[in-house]
Amino acid sequence: MKRKAFWGIFLFVISALLLVGCSGETTTSEPAATQEQGSDNATDKDAENGADKTLTVAIGSDMVSFDIHDHNNTSTEAIHVNMFNYLFKKDAKGEIYPELVEDYQIIDDLTVEMKIKEGVTFHNGDPLTSEDVKFTLERVATDDKLKEYPNYKQIKEVQIIDDYTFKVITHAPEPSLFHRLSRLGSGILPKKYIEENGWDHFLANPVGTGPYQFKEWVRDDHITLVPYDNYYDGKVEEWDEVVFRVIPENSTRVSELLTGGVDIAVNIPPADWERVNANEGTSIVQEISNRVIMLILRSTEGLPTADPRVRQALDYAIDDGALVNNVLLGGAVPTTTMVGPGNFGHNPELYDTYNYDVEKAKALLAEAGYEDGFEITLQSPRGRYLQDAEVAEMIAGMLAAVNVKVNVEFLEWSNFVEMRNANENKEAYLLGLGNSMFDGAYSVDWYRAERYEGHTDYKNDKIEELLAASAVNMNPEEREKQIQEISAIAAEDVPFVNLYQEKINIGISDSIDFIPTPDEMIYAPSIKRK
Amino acid sequence: MGKFLIRRLLQIIPVLFIISFVVFCLVFVAGDPVALMLPEDASPEDIEQLRESLGLNKPFHVQYFTYMLGLVQFDFGESFRYKESALPIVLERLPATLELATASMIVAIVIAIPLGIWSATKKNSPLDFLATGGAVLWKAMPNFWLGIMLIILFSVTLGWFPVSGRGSLSHLVLPALTLGTGIAAEMTRLIRSSMLEILNQDYIRTARSKGIREFFVINKHAFRNALIPVVTITALQTSTVVGGTLITETVFSWPGLGQLLIQAVNTRDMAIVQASVFIIAFMVILMNLLADIVYKILDPRIKYLKGEDICRSIHRLEIKIQQLQVQSRERLISLSVGCDFC
Repeated sequence: MKRKAFWGIFLFVISALLLVGCSGETTTSEPAATQEQGSDNATDKDAENGADKTLTVAIGSDMVSFDIHDHNNTSTEAIHVNMFNYLFKKDAKGEIYPELVEDYQIIDDLTVEMKIKEGVTFHNGDPLTSEDVKFTLERVATDDKLKEYPNYKQIKEVQIIDDYTFKVITHAPEPSLFHRLSRLGSGILPKKYIEENGWDHFLANPVGTGPYQFKEWVRDDHITLVPYDNYYDGKVEEWDEVVFRVIPENSTRVSELLTGGVDIAVNIPPADWERVNANEGTSIVQEISNRVIMLILRSTEGLPTADPRVRQALDYAIDDGALVNNVLLGGAVPTTTMVGPGNFGHNPELYDTYNYDVEKAKALLAEAGYEDGFEITLQSPRGRYLQDAEVAEMIAGMLAAVNVKVNVEFLEWSNFVEMRNANENKEAYLLGLGNSMFDGAYSVDWYRAERYEGHTDYKNDKIEELLAASAVNMNPEEREKQIQEISAIAAEDVPFVNLYQEKINIGISDSIDFIPTPDEMIYAPSIKRK
Repeated sequence: MGKFLIRRLLQIIPVLFIISFVVFCLVFVAGDPVALMLPEDASPEDIEQLRESLGLNKPFHVQYFTYMLGLVQFDFGESFRYKESALPIVLERLPATLELATASMIVAIVIAIPLGIWSATKKNSPLDFLATGGAVLWKAMPNFWLGIMLIILFSVTLGWFPVSGRGSLSHLVLPALTLGTGIAAEMTRLIRSSMLEILNQDYIRTARSKGIREFFVINKHAFRNALIPVVTITALQTSTVVGGTLITETVFSWPGLGQLLIQAVNTRDMAIVQASVFIIAFMVILMNLLADIVYKILDPRIKYLKGEDICRSIHRLEIKIQQLQVQSRERLISLSVGCDFC
């Protein structure tokens, strides 16, 4: 009997030892010392005895590619922005300023002459010249296979004047040219390097002119960047290494932040904010994103939503404040305009405010002949936007209070996109609209009748007139007023119910100074150690 | 054996082609990848232009023909997402998945064998109830939940293991436990029932009556015979393990095939989905073939009939194993029992 017990215990102990053996050297439990064990980089931190100069950022999805013109992905651009410089850049307030450009002059409605800074070099040592700018802009403006093509096809050509001076010529007057040149995909590529080594070589060994250069990319795992010694603005000394770790699962990202495995973790869901803030050494930082969540309404004749009074009633029946405070836990700002702050043409009077008056909503419905209410379908994605399904359900509840029965139809994202593209949208659907251009003209273009015929079927003659005028207006002051006026008319006529502008929710280690920006870029030189 | 092997290897080709066709159809009907590539504000004209540029506006049969033409040359096409040939991207991820799958199987075997044997030898004891009850409970736990719980306990609270990523052996522990313990639960019950059946055989009684030590009775006489169904279940668990990696790799940010496949499905990256499923299918078929070969080694009396497919052969084996009668201590004699389903 004793022997049996012995062998039983022996087997169990062996099994246990094998299990423990797999854990390598980190099984010693010293919580204080192991707080930094989240990654190999963390081990490096220990080795440096506090002289930690590695910035580790947890991102939700892997970088798509080093092809700056073919990703259309904010999280990919958040990495690229450290490696490639733009001709122009936007500051945190959305103001455009020259980055690689030294000086520029608007020659006429179609032409801008620019001079780039001398002494800028790519990471392989080649100098930046006008040839590189011509190569880059003409590539994206002519290759319709590239995802960024629609945003740059307005450029006709780049005429070289000398090594550092060139003209950018557009097909038609292009008031948004500077917005286009200062957004996602606006980096400058090394012409000589690509032509000599081939595109595949560039994608595997990319070089740009940015403050950080490429070191390593292990797909679905991490991307490592190191400072470029000869950066034209001086080598960045703050971080010796910047590591972007791919961690798709929200809770895992949070756990990495809590254990010190990463310094920054993007997209922290509201449910985890308290956990992050309560943990010693971590906190949540928020900033307005450039995404407005709205109900896109159908104004097609025959539908109740074709009547502006009904659309206004829906707007009055929805308590945006309750959505923001109760569902999003303060992670958004209510708005009646789709042009948020930091965007050209933003109308501050329409922002951080909302219409909510149930009695007025009922009165408007009665006036429109719907005192007994009606039934509509609200289509919504699930998991695309912050708490989207919960928001859709809460809206259905709010509209029920004014006798509007809402059938909420949840769709998986790809089916949702197909529904939109096939114009199979019903009376209303929930959508979040971003604007990487930071130009309000691209938001309010959603009101253009021709563009959305068969989709929203909304038409307002005054808006049409203003849209046509602003599209070619090269006077910024006038154009800004035109966009603001469009927003004001839309706030009255309610083609869509603008709900709120989402916030970016980022978890950070308290050992760093990081202020998120609305463009969601993670620009390492602007992040400091405390 | 040689003929059997050649026949089985040749059978892999049509199976893989059928799988490719099914996956192609599923991805084709699942949705338009172009719509997902462009942002929300992309105009219908922009979407149509990109669709045309990528050749996705062509009819189904044209796209399928192009795909098949590439497939026979082991070219799965270019990934929409990465703009690179799909197969190298998939093969690049394979070692990570194999590492996790192997570690998980080791965890499963290391837990299941001692627990299954112990549970059988202590039938109806508190330990047996604990083991069988625990196995049911563990099997019922979803992988993603278990993974998150393990992270919270062992990484966040105790700080013993890294939260996520791949690198050192310590990175492997939690994902392997998440995936392996679920499989162990199933294997434990199987080993227990298999052992119980064997322990009731006459030759075990004979062995005991001869005064052979219980350790040898269990491990030499009983366990060796109980091993055949364990091999069956281990081979069949390959597909479970691969399926489990889809979730486990995502939870632990393990850069393997599972995570790649999830992303590819989400973005309708047809080439990656095709290449991944092709490789996974090949692995599963190969493991089943390997199981058949191991059976033959373990029990030379097992014969494979011409034209017998994998499921039938495994099923036949299971039935045969269940009805195995042992008539002497040293020598096994099987009854030739026909399979009702074959």
